[in-house]
Order: sequence, then structure tokens, then C-alpha cells
Amino acid sequence: METIKLEGLDICCYKDKLKNGLEMVFVPYKDKKNYFISYATRFGSEITSFVPIESKKEIKVPDGIAHFLEHKMFEQENGVDPFTFFSESGTGANASTSYDNTQYICYGTKDFEKNLKFLLKFVNEPYFTDENVEKEKGIISEELKMYEDIPEIKLEMKLRENIYHIHPRRVDIGGTIEEINKIEKEDLYTCYKNFYSPNNMFILIVGNFDQEKAREIIEEEIGKKKSIPFPKIKKIKEQSTINKSYEKIESNVRVPKIGMGIKIPKKNLGNYDELTLDLYLSMISTVCFGSSSTFRERVRNKKLLNSFYTEWETTDDFKTLYMIAVSDNLDQFLEEVKKEFSQLTIEESSFERMKKVWIANEVKMIDYIDSTVHNIYDDYLHYHMVVPNKIERIRKLNIKEIQKIAKQIDFNNMAVVIQVPKEKEE
Amino acid sequence: MQYTRKDLGSYRLHCIRTKKFKTIMVRVVFHTPIKKEEITIRNVLCDIFMQSSKKYRSKRELTIKAQDLYAADFQTSNSRMGNYMNTNFYLTVLHDKYTEKGNFQAAVEFLKEIIFEPDIEKNAFDQKKLDIVKTNCKSALEAIKEDASNYSLIRMFEAYDKKSPVSYRMMGYIEDLEKITPQNLYQYYQNMITSNLVDIFVIGDIIEEEIIQIIKQNFVFKTLKKQRVPYLLPNRKPRPRRLFAKETSENVQSRLAIACCCYGLTDYERNYPLTLYNVILGGGNDSKLFREVREKYSLCYDIYSVPNKLDHLLLIRSGIDAKNYKQTVDLIEKVLNEMKKGKFTEENLKAAKEYYNTALEELEESESRIIDNYYMMELLGTDDLEEKRKKMNQVTKEEIIKVAKKIKMDTIFCLEGVKDGNN
Repeated sequence: METIKLEGLDICCYKDKLKNGLEMVFVPYKDKKNYFISYATRFGSEITSFVPIESKKEIKVPDGIAHFLEHKMFEQENGVDPFTFFSESGTGANASTSYDNTQYICYGTKDFEKNLKFLLKFVNEPYFTDENVEKEKGIISEELKMYEDIPEIKLEMKLRENIYHIHPRRVDIGGTIEEINKIEKEDLYTCYKNFYSPNNMFILIVGNFDQEKAREIIEEEIGKKKSIPFPKIKKIKEQSTINKSYEKIESNVRVPKIGMGIKIPKKNLGNYDELTLDLYLSMISTVCFGSSSTFRERVRNKKLLNSFYTEWETTDDFKTLYMIAVSDNLDQFLEEVKKEFSQLTIEESSFERMKKVWIANEVKMIDYIDSTVHNIYDDYLHYHMVVPNKIERIRKLNIKEIQKIAKQIDFNNMAVVIQVPKEKEE
Repeated sequence: MQYTRKDLGSYRLHCIRTKKFKTIMVRVVFHTPIKKEEITIRNVLCDIFMQSSKKYRSKRELTIKAQDLYAADFQTSNSRMGNYMNTNFYLTVLHDKYTEKGNFQAAVEFLKEIIFEPDIEKNAFDQKKLDIVKTNCKSALEAIKEDASNYSLIRMFEAYDKKSPVSYRMMGYIEDLEKITPQNLYQYYQNMITSNLVDIFVIGDIIEEEIIQIIKQNFVFKTLKKQRVPYLLPNRKPRPRRLFAKETSENVQSRLAIACCCYGLTDYERNYPLTLYNVILGGGNDSKLFREVREKYSLCYDIYSVPNKLDHLLLIRSGIDAKNYKQTVDLIEKVLNEMKKGKFTEENLKAAKEYYNTALEELEESESRIIDNYYMMELLGTDDLEEKRKKMNQVTKEEIIKVAKKIKMDTIFCLEGVKDGNN
């Protein structure tokens, strides 16, 4: 087992790999009562076309299948329901699907070994029948409808459609009701077989547990499982430009909202490793648009802003900045944003202050197991590594580099979606 | 963990010493009996504290000051607890051993400045800042229907009993917002800091004497307060016939919100058997409601129940298709009846106890929840963690059945989605 000391955080991480390629990351805490286990596959909603193993032809599975599969993994042939099993020891369990991964989690304070074993077992033993697949369609339909009624989700979806021409991120993680109704048990088995292979998965455990024992259990449960090569997936040839620059949608909102998406080809940003680039990009949006920015102060004083957030998305060839805001005066707000882009400067004092804030936050977060899980999970998923020196990396961020990167961003490559109330409403 | 409580005349200081965390958390709570017409102004007050202070004249300056204290986190919130309204000021800051000596003290001084030295001139708050806060509040109030789940709950409470604090909208009211001026906001502020009950909690790797010193230096209240209104709302009888209320919305999904009255429960029953009753009924994804309505009949994605102990209510919530409304309500009723008849197993009961035990253990891993726990002990006289664990483990099936018989469906509200899905 490889030991990785997380510098500046008084904590150690242990990393290991089974012969079949399954990767394991352990972060034991001595002074905590709780633990958190995540068992994940690098299979999410954005893979719907691929060439399955033992076949030469590309197939297209229905949209939303990764999420559907996640729901159905909880079905067990022997009738032991995972939720019931975990609840016997007061352990919580859940699962979630994203664009590029699916994870199964359990968290609690008791019966660690038993629960780990069971989590691995139920994710390793799919059991799909026509009946249980059919049953899930009603449940997932209600889930999709719930999201459809949330204006922010609708706005983000529309924005993705207008940023990307063909990229699968145009489609909602859960798919559509029409698409999920096409799903059959064979589709689920195909996806399971191709993407739940040990070499495409990893396990992350944080909290109160013994790492040697955990490794032993994982070896026992998964060691014999064979891996298959990762299926062929055609590279998506997404254009550099955005798909549609402006659209106004009417929706069930009372207060107007705006979504802006800036699509940046990675190749324009210079030669950085992914993590360094992400740190710089987040720093740009934080310094320029964060809570202590002059931009925020200006639009607040002009009463143009009610709420605001930014987030970054990474795909194979792009970094995309999303900015979502609520404002009573969207046109003027948009003008202010464009003005900010045109004169974008990163002041050294703000930049240095934010570095200090980020470092303090790293230290604060390590106190909480769920934040640690979240952090390490994201790093592992996106950078394929546990980052031992995050604090040092933040400290080393350089003002000249960030200014150089900021200059490379073409802010005109922006999609704007405006969400306004329906006219006919009272 | 070591807890001490000190009466400092005009407020109580609670110190919780633990080595578990790298941060120190301070919470200052102002509490007062709730009045509907004061909710909005109190929300505005909470927000305006975070806009500026006498020394830091803009939100940006305030934010930068907090960032300079090694990313100290300052927040305010307003919430209702039974008959009371609580205004909380939170400060979370890294322990000096991770920053520099004196950083904690500086952060507490900053908290003091936010509370006691706001941006006031000539007995009035700044008009411009107030306008900004009011615009934001108005926008949030206008958007109230956008969150269908929350809106269905608000409307259900209003149908349940318009006069009860249960139905007060904690987001506030547009009519009240319009009445707020820089002057009357100042008067309300004065009223809050002189007449409200105050509790201050400090948790972390602290030395009690030092904390008492620092807090005493910074928090001085002029008046001695005595208010004694019970926290618990009066226990209202369930109506003889259930009330069905409905409203349509431009949504695809319908949101169901049900209030069940818990009538005639003893303190013990409310704190112990009711908790386990709720876990078994609708507390998680192994509950009876989840099994029946979601897993067996595929009628919903989310369904759960939650007890509002201080209001004597048990709430059941779900998102469904409009056409399945009757079937869903019938199934919920069936499950409630099964609980009365004791149709749950000893395994269910055991699992519910384990669930509770885990929750107690997890509580000890969060500064904020540890404070919550001591706060409840202070206000409501609830048992401490050890006692809770012991009593909960001894609850019997019969006790839960007895509680089940005192729970009755009272108000059923449906926010009916009338839009066809695009999907």
C-alpha cells in the first residue's frame, strides 16, 4: 500500500490497486466515530454510444440509462433489500449518477466490515427482470418531473443545449421519460458488463475504520472478478464555437433568471496539467465574480443582482464557465457582465487574499468526513490521483500565470439564456 | 467533551470543550416570542447586518475583513421554534494554532462589531443599504412559488390553521416589507438587543476562563430580561373531519403535503416513541411509506415523514402525478392504520433504534449539531446524549402503538400540477 501524506493537514492517505485494476483509496481518521464508503464507476450519463465487448458494431442505448442502472442495482436476486440490510445497523445508503460517474455509498458508525462487504456484493450482483425494470419507470418518471419543475435546472439544461452542438451533456443526466420508457433489462446488462469492470472502478473510504482489514475484504470480494478492456467510444467532435448565442425561454418562474455559459477550448489555455489549470480558472471566477469582487459590489449597489453563482465544467476538449443569476433587470445585468469581461483585471492583492482563504478552507474541511470524501472523490475522478500537496499548489499559484490564462479566454464565445415568466400568468 | 454553563446576568454563556475540531464556533442566539408582523423586519435586520457596519462600510469590505481573519465564516439566520423566533449569528474560525495568536479574539471582536456597531446614523439604518436588502427580499418573496415542494408546505400550514404560528411564513410578507423604514428598523434593532433572551455558545479546543473573558469584554447587554412563554405550541385537537385543500400550479408534478395531529402525547412520548414511530413510518428509504407507495406501487420518487415536535405535528410529503392523488392518500392512510394495529416487526423497531443511535454518534462529529443539542437541553429541558441513548433503547413496541393511536391525519394539501410534461 502506498502512503500519501496530505501535507499541512495532519492526515495520511493509503492507496492500492488490485491485480484486476480496481483502485482503492483509504483515509482513516483516528478520532472520528463515523465512516463513509464510496464505490464508484467511471460511467455516467454521457456515455450512450459505444462498441460493446465481443462486438464490432457501435450501439446506442437510451438516454438516462446510467441513472436507471444506478436505481436498479438495488434489486437483489436473493430478496435481501440493500436499504433494509443497511438500516439494520442504522447505516445510511444511497447512490448518485452524474455525467461522468456513478457512485454507491454507505455511511454510519457501526458494522463497518459487514457493510463494506455488502456494498461490494450488491453492486457486483446485478439482477434485472422485465418486471423490476418496468416498475422503476414510474418512479424515475416522477423524479424527472420533480426536476422539470425546478426553474434553475431547466435553465441550466437549456444553457447546455445552447453551448454544445452534439456533446451528450446536452441531455439531462436522467434522460427523458420517452427515452427511459424504451429501456429493457438487456440494455442494463450490456451497460453493466461493459462499464462496471474493476479496472473502470474505484473505492474510497474515509473515517473510522482499519485500512488493512478493508483491503482484505475488498480483495476477497472483488479480487477474483475479471476485468475487460474499456469499450471503444467514438471521440466526440464538438465544435469550438457555442451552438446558440441567445435565447429567451418562458417558464414557470416569477422572478427572471439568466444563465451564461462561456465555452473555452482547452488548447487555447496553454500547457498546464488539468489540476493547475482548474485552480487558475476557479481563481479567475472567484476573484472577478466572487463575494468580495468589485463586480459584485457594483451590481449590488445598482440593485441588479438578487442571487448569483458560478461553476466550471470540464469535458474532453473544453472548460466551460457557467454563471447563473437572478435579477429584475437582466439586460442591464448582462451589460455589466460584458463590461467586466472587456476590462477583466486580476489584482494581486485580491489574488493573494483568495489564496489565503482557499488554504484556510482546505484545513477547515478536513474536520468533516463528508467534505473530505467529496474533495478526494472529485480529485480522484478528474485527476486520477490523491493530491498530496493541495495547499502547496495553491500557495504556488502565480499572478503572472493567472493573468496570462485570463487573457486567453474569449468571453465572446458565450451562450446566454434568459428565463422569464409566462406572459399569460396572473 | 466538557460542557459548562455560566449565567452572566443578561445572558447565558455555554462553553463546550472538545479537541475534535480545528475550528472554534461561536453562536449568538437572540430569542423572543414570535409575532407574525415581526418576521419580515427581523429577516431584513438579519440581512442588513451582513451588508455593512460602522467601520466596514460595504458588503465587500465586510467580506474582505472576514477573509483576512483566515476565512472566518460569518452568517445570520432566522427561524421559528415553537412559539419562539430565533435569530442566530454564527462565527466559524480556525483555531489560533492553525493561524496566528489573537486571530480568534479578533474574529469575536468583529462579530461584536457586526451586532453592536451596525451602519447607523441619527438613529436610522442606511437608506441605500436597506433598499438593496428590500429588493432582494422582495425578489425571494415573489419567487416563493418556484419551489413547489416548499410552497406546498406553506399552503398546507395555512390551510391547517391560519392563526397558529405554524402557518407563519418565515420568509416574511411583501406587505410588511413595504412598511420598513430606516427609522423603524433601527427601533426594532434596539428592541431586539435590549429585550430578547440571549444565549451564547462557544465550542472548540478552548480554555473556559479565556472564553469567559473574551465574551464578557465584547458582549454587554444593558437590560436584564425575563420572558417566560412556553416553547411548545398549545396542543390542538384534530378536526373531526379531515380537511382537503387544493391549489393548481403550472407544474408537471403535484406536491402532496399532509399534516397529522399528534394529540395528547406526554413529553416522554413526544421525545422518544414518536421519534421511532416516525423512522419506521417514513424516516428513510427503508420506511413503510417508501416501501408501499414508492417501491410497491411506483407512485412517487420521494416520500417521507418528519415530526414537528414543538408544533405537535407529523408531516408527510411526496411528489406524485395528479391522477394518482387519491390512490396515494389512501395508501398513506392504510400505512398509518397499520402502525396503529402494530403491523411492524421487532426488526423494524430495532433498526429504528440503530438509526437513532447512529444519528447521535454522528451528531458528535459536527460542532453545529453539538450546539443544537445543548441548545435544546437549555430551552426545552431535553435529556443529555447519554440519557437519550438509554431511554430510546428501552422504548417498546406497545409504546409506539400507543403513540400511533394518538396520531390522526388532519389536513391534506395538494399543489396540483396541471401542465403536461414535455418529455
